Amino acid sequence: MSLSLALTGLVLAADQPTVEKPTGFFGALATAAQWFIGLFNEGGKVFVGLLTGIIPTLIVLLTFVNALIVLIGPDKINRLGEVAARPGLVYYPLRYLILPALSVFFLTNPMCYTMGQFLPEKYKPAFYDSQVSFVHPITGLFPHANAGELFVFLGIAAGITGLGGQIGDLAIRYFLVGLVVCFIRGCFTEFITFRMTSRRPVTKEAAA
Amino acid sequence: MSTTDTETRPGGRGGAMGGLNNLIVKIGKSVGKVVGVLYQAGRDTIDTIIRNILPFMAFIAMIIGIVNATGLGDALAHLVEPLAGSLPGLIAISIFCSIPILSPILGPGAVIAQIVGVLLGTRIAAGDVPPQYALPALFAIDPQVGCDFIPVGLALAEAEPETVEVGVPAVLFSRMVTGPLAVVIAYFASFGMYSGLSE
Repeated sequence: MSLSLALTGLVLAADQPTVEKPTGFFGALATAAQWFIGLFNEGGKVFVGLLTGIIPTLIVLLTFVNALIVLIGPDKINRLGEVAARPGLVYYPLRYLILPALSVFFLTNPMCYTMGQFLPEKYKPAFYDSQVSFVHPITGLFPHANAGELFVFLGIAAGITGLGGQIGDLAIRYFLVGLVVCFIRGCFTEFITFRMTSRRPVTKEAAA
Repeated sequence: MSTTDTETRPGGRGGAMGGLNNLIVKIGKSVGKVVGVLYQAGRDTIDTIIRNILPFMAFIAMIIGIVNATGLGDALAHLVEPLAGSLPGLIAISIFCSIPILSPILGPGAVIAQIVGVLLGTRIAAGDVPPQYALPALFAIDPQVGCDFIPVGLALAEAEPETVEVGVPAVLFSRMVTGPLAVVIAYFASFGMYSGLSE
């Protein structure tokens, strides 16, 4: 063992001087090429890390949730949309908290906005704001809802993983704070929409 | 079809036999349905992975690779550290991203938010930004979410043109207030998170 090690050492030592560092014009080219390919070697390592670290679990989770959504039937929340259209303070949490969350979960990113068709015109901008604010906070726990934009959460979560922490804490807090924020945005945008429509004298009876 | 069915069965169409037959048909149908749903779910998943997730991973990996290998990351750290490592800095980021003229430009595909998210993640891992700022940072880099998509989103909701006319500025102005507010809420919600991790 030690003999072979010593031998390789010897061979290396003997080899070392024969391979000189490239110099001159071609040497500079070679160094540049080495550096250039190094950029992409590094990127390749990152890619494989993402591939083995995220994709396997994601595939199984996405399959499960996709099947669950079809088995439950997304049309069932349409009825909820009709209830949420009612005026009154009681329906605010339903309209800007429960309905956005459920529609993003079941209908997923671009299609969830069709849920707004059950609401009266005056609520639509606020409802959209509320929904779209939730498409990233949901990805921490349910990546299927917005699979094309996972890296807002995954990017920052990778930092926590890099420190040796668990991302569960961040995911659940992101989800909960996201709910609070989407409720606040819904209420505030509704307020602004009402103010803006009442300021337009041209529009017929929209102010009311 | 049915005649051959009855011929092969000994005893023909007895009452008990018919009931059993129905049961078997029912079980067969429902199992077939569930398997079909599961299979389709798998198909959709692989489709999503290949169409949406892998291309973005390739793109993110390229950026991280270049940033890490060129040492750009360290240069960036000095820029990002004072902003991302404090509450006023994060609020400043969110105000910048929610300026009504900039937010629709920063919005599309959440590409900017994702790149900034990944870069911030590498800074958190390197210890330049404390881990408890991960939560407020998530909201600081994202007040422009969907600002590019308002007319399309409202069209999907079958909104009238007048609603779109009011809705676009209403959402954009609302973000100016709710964007920084979200950062503050997230900051207070992040207390006690990963306190053991920061050295």
